[in-house]
Order: sequence, then structure tokens, then C-alpha cells
Amino acid sequence: MVEAIIRATLLGLQLGMTLALIAAGLTLIFGMLDVINFAHGALFMLGAYLGTVIAGQLGSFWLALLLAPLIVGVIGAAIEILSLRPLYGRNPLYHILLTFGIAIMIQGAILQIWGGQSRRISVPEILSGSVPIGPVNYPLYWLFVFAFSTVLIGLVWIGIERSNLGILMRASAHDTEMVNALGIDVSKVFTGVFVFGAVLAGVAGVLLSGTQSVHPGMGFNVIIEAFIIVVIGGLGSFRGAVYSALLIGLVSAYGALIAPTLTELFLFLLMAVVLMIKPSGLFGTTEAA
Amino acid sequence: MSRRDTDMTSNQGDGSTNQGSGGASSMLSRRKYLAGTTAAGITATFAGCMGGGDDGLTVGYALPFTGTYAFLGESIVNGFEMFLEQQGGEINGEEVNTVQLDTEADTDRGVDVTRELLVEESADAIVGPVSSAVAIAMMGIVEAESSAIWLNANAGDYRVTEEGCLDYHFRTSFNDWQTSAPLAEWVYDNVADNVCLAYADYAFGQNSKEFFGEAFEEAGGEIVEEVGIPLGTDNYSTYLGDIEDSGADAVYSFFAGDDAVNYVSDFNDFGLNEEMTQTGSGFLLSEDTLPAQGDAAEGMYSLLHYTTTQDTERNREFVDNYSEMYDHESANVYACQGYDSAQAFSAAVEETGGTDPDEMADTLAGLELDSPRGHFQFNPDTHEAIQDMHIREVVESDDEDFEVENEVIDTIEQVEGPDWGCSL
Repeated sequence: MVEAIIRATLLGLQLGMTLALIAAGLTLIFGMLDVINFAHGALFMLGAYLGTVIAGQLGSFWLALLLAPLIVGVIGAAIEILSLRPLYGRNPLYHILLTFGIAIMIQGAILQIWGGQSRRISVPEILSGSVPIGPVNYPLYWLFVFAFSTVLIGLVWIGIERSNLGILMRASAHDTEMVNALGIDVSKVFTGVFVFGAVLAGVAGVLLSGTQSVHPGMGFNVIIEAFIIVVIGGLGSFRGAVYSALLIGLVSAYGALIAPTLTELFLFLLMAVVLMIKPSGLFGTTEAA
Repeated sequence: MSRRDTDMTSNQGDGSTNQGSGGASSMLSRRKYLAGTTAAGITATFAGCMGGGDDGLTVGYALPFTGTYAFLGESIVNGFEMFLEQQGGEINGEEVNTVQLDTEADTDRGVDVTRELLVEESADAIVGPVSSAVAIAMMGIVEAESSAIWLNANAGDYRVTEEGCLDYHFRTSFNDWQTSAPLAEWVYDNVADNVCLAYADYAFGQNSKEFFGEAFEEAGGEIVEEVGIPLGTDNYSTYLGDIEDSGADAVYSFFAGDDAVNYVSDFNDFGLNEEMTQTGSGFLLSEDTLPAQGDAAEGMYSLLHYTTTQDTERNREFVDNYSEMYDHESANVYACQGYDSAQAFSAAVEETGGTDPDEMADTLAGLELDSPRGHFQFNPDTHEAIQDMHIREVVESDDEDFEVENEVIDTIEQVEGPDWGCSL
């Protein structure tokens, strides 16, 4: 029993932190740009595919972890500049339709280029094998994913709270006109935020491609979880997204222990309860965190 | 584009007002038309007599082309069309038109698609589906229309025979008993006398573990634990704990597709491969999952009716042709099932000289086919395939494109299986 709880806790934390990478981008983009980005899951999937392909071609997981998110970032920039920018200030429905369409296009492109077969990234030699944690043997790579995601989330958090760039981001979201009037090109800040979110999703994609199979349906699977996280954490709140991602990760993991078939139901129930008690989410305010 | 566009001699006065709604004509029939075939016109008279109401032969693919099973659907079509291409696009001198409709692996959609293929496209044969739930849903419409033979190119649920027992249904693939039960005795003799059953918790997984479990106990073995895992699970860590705690010496599993990839990789990541021997139905370790599983799969045993590395001239030829025709893609069990569906259809049309579904069914019952998998025969009573089942071990591959491959280490000959009360 103790072993099962240790396993579930480790899995929950790891899932939570990688989901946080995805949800963080989603919530930042919503908080700053007021865009509900349905293509975020597709960007995550693109990261996983590019990572797997690059690692396969160049034989280096580390290069894949560096390059794939950057390429996803470039694609994110193209999406923001070419398609989203003309639509700012319009009814949010336009953004939903547009990003949903982009998600379908990316999925279609992936099917065309790489086919429907599942893949998996080869984990570097140094991270293969398992290490004992108490009575449990846990795969080293899974621990690495947890550690890497946690450090990255920590850095982003500090960046948003402390750095000038973070302050500028929050200011742009808070009062676009005023920041514009101060002589700062807000559209560049918006592009930057979108690209940043895309890169984080790309990183999560590469990381997870070593713990689960990479397939054309993964983007839509993850976007649902990411939305639940963002809604529970409070739309636009970075802090909320991180806490809520950890919560969802742990609920999924313990859920599998208690009632495997009901895990998904738990997630939706949790979301429903939070929405009833606190409609703006756990950390939701009218402002971004 | 409707296939009608390619069909100059089509008789549109028979009340068929199909506009090709969603039907996509295959490249093959288009190319054949460009080659200017007139044979279809000559044989049209005969086809008309058979009640088909259209010219040439029509094959309807009721397969998933989107979603999780898209790869399987495509492979089946590839196999089927490769056989057609080898025949110059004609069977018994008649042009073969193919119509493909996407079942989306959804039961309602599967029934709609089948109805459209049978009624509007006047298909002479239905090829598909992939999902067993869709196959069970399709039984009613196939029986009601009684206008085509049904070449079941992948859906292996035994209930299609138990509950349906349809005259027109022919399993050009396998059934879930064949890919599980025959392995039990072999595991008992060669691997362990106790196993843990770990399976994807839906109809096919449950059937497989039941069949294996029964046969294993009959052989004298003990089932120590059963672990049902929801379909589509990404992380198996929690369940692997239960499997490990069972203390069994071996595991028998049914997982397929992404589940198989994730399960096998996690099994290895958590070091269970050092404590117990993994065995399973062949879909756990097949051509569509092995590239992603890689060396995590090494040393695992599975049972299937077809393996790309089978060392026969017939199979080598099939594998080479497939790779040549489809841009170096590796052949796989689904492609073989598609190919054999085409062989069965061709044999039925040639033997009967037409497309009368009852005559075709009579011909196919008991018929033997020379397949890349080896000779197999349709059981005259159940229309299941009586075929050799191969026990394979995953080994390091000699081929530099692949990390690992299956090696056939034992063969159980001409496996027949129960008749589930079906006697046609």
C-alpha cells in the first residue's frame, strides 16, 4: 500500500509539473491577449513530434529538447502575427474558431508528414534505468521530467514576478493603452507572450514524449486537461495554473489508484465544484497574477 | 469526386441518385479509367442480371481513416489495392471500383457508412471494419440488405460469429480466441505455471484475457491476479505496482496501439522485465508498435497469425512489393488482412462468374487461400479463418531501419477454435 501511494504521489507530481508548463502558456496567453488558444494542445503535440524526429535524426535528446521548442516558438510567432493580430479586440468567438481551425490544420499536417503511427523519443543513456525511492524503483527519466519542469516553472515564476520584462507583461495586460502611450509597442509584447507560451508547450511535448507515446490525437487529449486546470486555477492566473496543475496531476494519479475508470469524471467534478463555489477559479481575479 | 465520374457506362436510370456524398474514388480506379478500359461495358450485361444494377465490381471500404485507428484503415486499403494493382485493376475481366467511407471507429457512423455503401453504391463486397463494436453494430444492416459479402478485415470479436453467424460474413483476419487461447499452453510449457492477466478494460481486452485464462487453467496453470486498465491510459505506473505485487512469474496482456506502446515502455522503465516475463496477444508487439517500443520490447513473447519476418518466399515477396509500392513503408498484419480480403473477393467473383452474394458466400465457405501468412481456409460452419498461429519473440533487428523485430519461434498449426454455436 505504501508503495502504491509513493508511486501515485511521484506520478502525480510529475504529471502536475509538466501539465503546468502547458497550462502556464495557456493561461498567460489568455491573461495578456484575451485569447482562448485552442491550438495550444497542437503546439504541444508539434513539440513532441519535432522532438522525436530531431532526436531520431541527430541522435541527441538534448539537442531535441533545445531545438524543438524553439521551432515551435517560431511557428507560434507566425500564428500570432499572421492570424491572431488582425482579430484582437473582436468577439472572443473569432479567436476560438481561428485557433480551433489552426489546431485541426496542425493535426492534419502531422498526419500528412509523419503518418498515424505512434512514436516515442529515445531517452538518453544517462537517464535510462530506475532508482530506488524508498521501497519503490522509479524510472530515472520520469524523475528528470519532474525536476526539469519544476525548475523551469520556478524560473518563469520568478521572471514574471521580478524581472522588468515580467512587469511589462503584466502592465500590458492590465492597461494596454497606457503602456502604448508610454512608448512601448504592445503588439511586440503580445507576440512575445504567445511565443513564450508556445515554447513552454513545446518543452512539455519533448519531455512527455519519453514517458508516453506520441500520436496525432495527443494534442486534443491534453488541451482538455489544460483547460480544466486553467479554469480551476482562475483564468489568466499563472500562480493558479501551477497550483491547479499539481492538484489535477495528483487527483489523476490517486484516482487511478482508487477508481481507474472514474478518474476523468473526478477532474470534471472538481472543476464543477470549484466553479460553483468560486466562479472565478481558485486564484482568479479580474487581473492576471 | 464520385466514382461515378469515372464510370462511363454506368446506368443512372435505376433510381440510384448517388452524388458521391463523401465517397472518395481510389486512385486506382481513376488511373484505370484513364487507361481506357472498355471491358466493363461488355460485362455490364452480366452484372445487371445479378441484380447489382451497376457495372464493374464495387468494393466498399468501411474503415476508419481518421483518429486512433487511421493507420490500420490505411494499411488495410493499401493491402487490398496492392492485390488489385497486381491484377491490373481487374477481377474476372471487370474493372474494380473502390469507394472508401470513414467509419471514424464509431458505431453509429459505421452503420450509416455500411448502409450507404450497400444501398447507394451497390457495393458487391464490404471490407472492414477495424473496431469490433462497429462490426457488431453492422451485422443488422448487412443481413437486412443481403446484397454483398462482408470481408471482415480486422474486427476480431467472437460475438460476430456467436450472435451474428451471418452467411455473408467472412473473417479474413482473426478472432479474439485465436490471438489469446492458443498461447496459454505454450506459456505453461515454456515460460511459467502462474500468470498475472493485465488487459485493456473493454470488450476485446476482456475477451482475450478470459480466453487465455480459461485455456491456461485448463493446461494446469494458475491465474494469480487480474488487472483491468482503462482504455487509453497514458501512464501505467499505478497498475504496474499491482502487477508487480501479484508476484507472478509471467504476465499475459492484451493492449493495442498507443496503449501497447505505453504499457510496454512503462513495464520496462519500472524494471518489471527483470522480474517477470511479458507475454501477450500479437497486437501488443506488432509492426505498428515496435518502432516506438524499441528495445523495451526485447525478450517479450506474443501470438499472431501474421508476422512480417515470416521466412517464406510468398511472404518475402509480399513484404518487398509492399515496401516498393508504398514508399518504403513496412508491411504489417493489417495490410496482410487487406490483401487477403482482396484475394477472397477475387476468388469469389472468379469462381461464381458474378457478384451474387449468396453464390459468393457458398464459394468462399471452405475455400483455401494462399496468403502471405501461409495457407488458410474459411471454416465452412463459421466462416472464421482456420490458420497457423505463430509464437514470436522480440529480438534485436538485423535491419538497420529497425531496432527490434519479431522472430517466429514456434507455430501452432491450423488453429480452428470454438464454433460458438454457429453452424452455417
